[in-house]
Amino acid sequence: MSLRQRLLLLFSLTVATAVAVVAWTVLVRIRHVFEQRDQEETALFVSQFQREFQHRSQEVVADVNRLGASERARSIALQLAQSGDPSPFLTEAQSMAADARLDFLEIVGPDGNIVSSAQSPARFGYPEPAVNYQAREAFLKREELPDGSVVLGLFAVHPISGAISVRLIGGERLDQRLLADLAIAPGMQIGLYSDAGAPVSSTSGIAALQQNSLANAAFDANRLQGATGALPAAPHYQELIMTALKNGQQTTGIIDTTGRREDSLNATALPLKDPQGNVMTVLTVAIARGGMIEAQQHIRAIAYGVAGGGILLAIILSLWITARVSRPIEQLAQAAEEVAGGNWDVHVPEKGRGEMTVLARSFNHMTQQLTTQRESLVQSERVAAWRELARRLAHELKNPLFPLQITVENLVRSRNLSASEFDEVFRESTSTLSTEIANLKKIIARFSDFSKMPKPELERVDVRDVIERVRALYSTVAAEAKIEFATDVPQSKLPINADPELLHRALSNLVLNAMDAMPDGGKLGISARRKDNRIELRVSDTGKGLTPEECERLFTPYYTTKQFGTGLGLAIVQSVVADHAGTIAVESPKEGGAMFIITLPEAES
Amino acid sequence: MFRRSAISILLLALAATLPSYARTRPHFGGILRIETADDPWQGADAIARKFVFDGLTALDANGAVRPALAASWQSDNAGHRWQFRLRNGVRFHDGTPLTAASALQSLTASCGSNCPWSAVRVVGSSIIFTSDSPLPDLPDLLASDLFLISQPRSAISGSPAQPVGTGFFQVSQSSGNTVVLTANDSCWQGRPFLDQITITFHRTIRDQWLDLTLGRADIVEVPAEQRKQAEQQHLTVITSKPVSVLALQLSDSGTLASPNLRSAIAYAVDRSAVYNVIYQKQGQIAASLVPNTVSGYGFLFPVDRDVNKANQARGGLNTSTISLSAAGDGLMQLTAQRLALNLREAGFNVRIDAPGSAKYSDIMLRTLPVAGSEASGVLGRLLLAAGQQPAVSGQDPQFSFRSEQDILNQHLIIPLIDLPRAYAISGRVHNVTLRADGTPELADVSVEPTP
Repeated sequence: MSLRQRLLLLFSLTVATAVAVVAWTVLVRIRHVFEQRDQEETALFVSQFQREFQHRSQEVVADVNRLGASERARSIALQLAQSGDPSPFLTEAQSMAADARLDFLEIVGPDGNIVSSAQSPARFGYPEPAVNYQAREAFLKREELPDGSVVLGLFAVHPISGAISVRLIGGERLDQRLLADLAIAPGMQIGLYSDAGAPVSSTSGIAALQQNSLANAAFDANRLQGATGALPAAPHYQELIMTALKNGQQTTGIIDTTGRREDSLNATALPLKDPQGNVMTVLTVAIARGGMIEAQQHIRAIAYGVAGGGILLAIILSLWITARVSRPIEQLAQAAEEVAGGNWDVHVPEKGRGEMTVLARSFNHMTQQLTTQRESLVQSERVAAWRELARRLAHELKNPLFPLQITVENLVRSRNLSASEFDEVFRESTSTLSTEIANLKKIIARFSDFSKMPKPELERVDVRDVIERVRALYSTVAAEAKIEFATDVPQSKLPINADPELLHRALSNLVLNAMDAMPDGGKLGISARRKDNRIELRVSDTGKGLTPEECERLFTPYYTTKQFGTGLGLAIVQSVVADHAGTIAVESPKEGGAMFIITLPEAES
Repeated sequence: MFRRSAISILLLALAATLPSYARTRPHFGGILRIETADDPWQGADAIARKFVFDGLTALDANGAVRPALAASWQSDNAGHRWQFRLRNGVRFHDGTPLTAASALQSLTASCGSNCPWSAVRVVGSSIIFTSDSPLPDLPDLLASDLFLISQPRSAISGSPAQPVGTGFFQVSQSSGNTVVLTANDSCWQGRPFLDQITITFHRTIRDQWLDLTLGRADIVEVPAEQRKQAEQQHLTVITSKPVSVLALQLSDSGTLASPNLRSAIAYAVDRSAVYNVIYQKQGQIAASLVPNTVSGYGFLFPVDRDVNKANQARGGLNTSTISLSAAGDGLMQLTAQRLALNLREAGFNVRIDAPGSAKYSDIMLRTLPVAGSEASGVLGRLLLAAGQQPAVSGQDPQFSFRSEQDILNQHLIIPLIDLPRAYAISGRVHNVTLRADGTPELADVSVEPTP
């Protein structure tokens, strides 16, 4: 990734992150504010509901107390006490309830059984458990109607004055009409969830009416009624209401009505209980989250816009900065790559006065210095090579020249000898001269060969064949020198593109060197294997090994560790390997022995 | 002196007794005003039908069968064949003579395909009934309101067609909630004292009593449960013997096809609560179809509620919802509600159908006629009214008991309370008696002129 791309990415990330953090903070804050507002509105409505509930409770208590103190009620109680016969009062509760405008009224006798019921006249004689409630306040109670349905009411109990054992239980119906009297904030939905209207099952029984049947029953969306009828999206209240019914506590949650966030509701369920703690009904207050969602979406849109603009700005900025900063660096990097590639004749523009300019100037100075030093080094090496060549030539030529000089001087001195002796000396001297001259030719031929290394003629060669050819050539000689010749090659082919003669010559050089390194015998090994996409040949011996310095200079021409070596063998090997785009290295552990490793590119199949 | 004084005293005493005699002696003429809650042509209290029509037979004041349009009858072949000879000289209100053919047409139209007899035909002035099974109580059955003889519709002229019968009174006007009946001068039983009867119906009991108190009505209804209240208001009340039985009529199909479930329902109902509170101890708790005062064996049928036996009979089955309806006013509805509570306590799911909302209910609360003096006849008329075939019983009480026991064991009819019928009458009405079915007998009634 280029510096320009990095800068672009860095700027974009920085801008996007900053915008995201700001937007997230604003969104969280907005949500917090809206939720706080919703909670306040919900609390306000619940408070209003509780005041209305309390007000109605007081009205019910007052009405029932008033009825209990009435002359009519006292007369009924007196007659009941005297006759013990409740039958004449069957319809009394209906007329009294009508006069007092109560929805429910029951006269309960001393035995706790209903004497007369306004809401369910047929229930006379049945026990009324609520008569035992001692609370002076109103309470919630379910009531069964003659058609078998259940309604919820707000009830109060009061003994009839002068006849405490006879009680009145009166009340008002509690349903969604109560909600209609409450002030509702815009966007607020309120409802009451109860089992009002549901039929009484004989299996649950009349006695189960007052138990926690609402919580035990399955959720029924039709039971959730708003102020003006069925509450929209009532089925979506199920989880909230069932949770409130289960734990009996006020529960708050978010209701997803349509799958669109703007249609969701922030809802609260408030369970209302009877004196035994059974939940009789659940008040639901829901406030639309549309306003909050719209605000959040508006802010999110702004954030996207700002982020987009910021990223665009970052692109422009990064382009500008790269034009100022990264271009010199890129030019410098490109120049460095060229230098690394061997082209030292590069020049980086020097503009301005900044650090990059100093760096470019230093780079140009460095390349200039390097060029100068390389030329000096080349000249020094050339001189050194010539000196080495002259030394080697002098050394190589000096050895044959000295016998030549002696032989010639002997031949000159032998002119005074007898003819037979002269002939004998002459014959020996000419023989020696021929030998030494041949030796000189040989030396000259080697130098000539090194200078005239042929260009390789590449063809597809199996390395295993090359190794086998060398092994066949030198195994007998090696055996005579007590050297164990071992090869290790795989079953599969090891194809390379090579000149087989040059490769054979290089490998033969290494084998001869190894045999020379083991005058007392040893083990010579040649192995080959495939490594990645290259073929690796190893030639190892168990000789005395090489020092690190020898390893370092071993491939230098005319360097030799042998007494009569020319120092050109390994140089030729290295030349051959290099001509085949390969590498050669030598390893020599401290414990002795040496290993030459040739790596050549594998031919494509 | 003594003679003159004695004569004077005698004359004064005679003069003092004359007005009293004048008040009690029937007078021809006058209009009798009757108010009812129900339609006078429909239901068990269809009093207008009883004033306008006659049957082949009728019940006398004691409930015994007496000849009416049929002068005599005789049975052959062990009650399989009955021959009723029509009274001669009887004419319908429109002047057409009553013939055996017209009577036959009326009888056939009244019961359609559910007639108790298998075949009926006319032979001269006689009507001959034949049946596959013996009908020992056919004269009793023919005294039922169902078999009142009316002029066939096709023979009635004029528009709109008014009911035409042979009774004491004929329809002269029918509009809105009022029916005006005028005396049938040529009635085969003789002309009644009254000139006219005005029946105003669909009046609440409170309004009826108010009209009676204010002198705007002469005979008004007194529901059984309000008899004490009527007496407390110093109304003159005349009460019949038990003439109807409040009963549950159960379906023998659907949910209640199982006799055990029907038996459970019979055990579950609380008659005493209904009797003591709803009906204010009027009438008599009954578990028998025929009142004990008629049969003498009604007490043998247990009246007490037994929820345990109800549960045993139900066998722990959770039945589907049973529908219950009441054929009647608020009191019947209240009774139905109470019985529904009883049944729910016994483990039944009960739904009360609103009046007129359901054509068919599993249980129907209704009243069935039990007027009469013979158990077999009462039972036959009751079953006829219930839409069932009359049982073969005869005059033997043992047969009647077994027949009734067999019927009750099916639990298709569960008797609850025998109810009387009562009316409050004004002081200007004289000689009011009640028929065996509890309706007023107006043949001998006279009224004082309206002040």
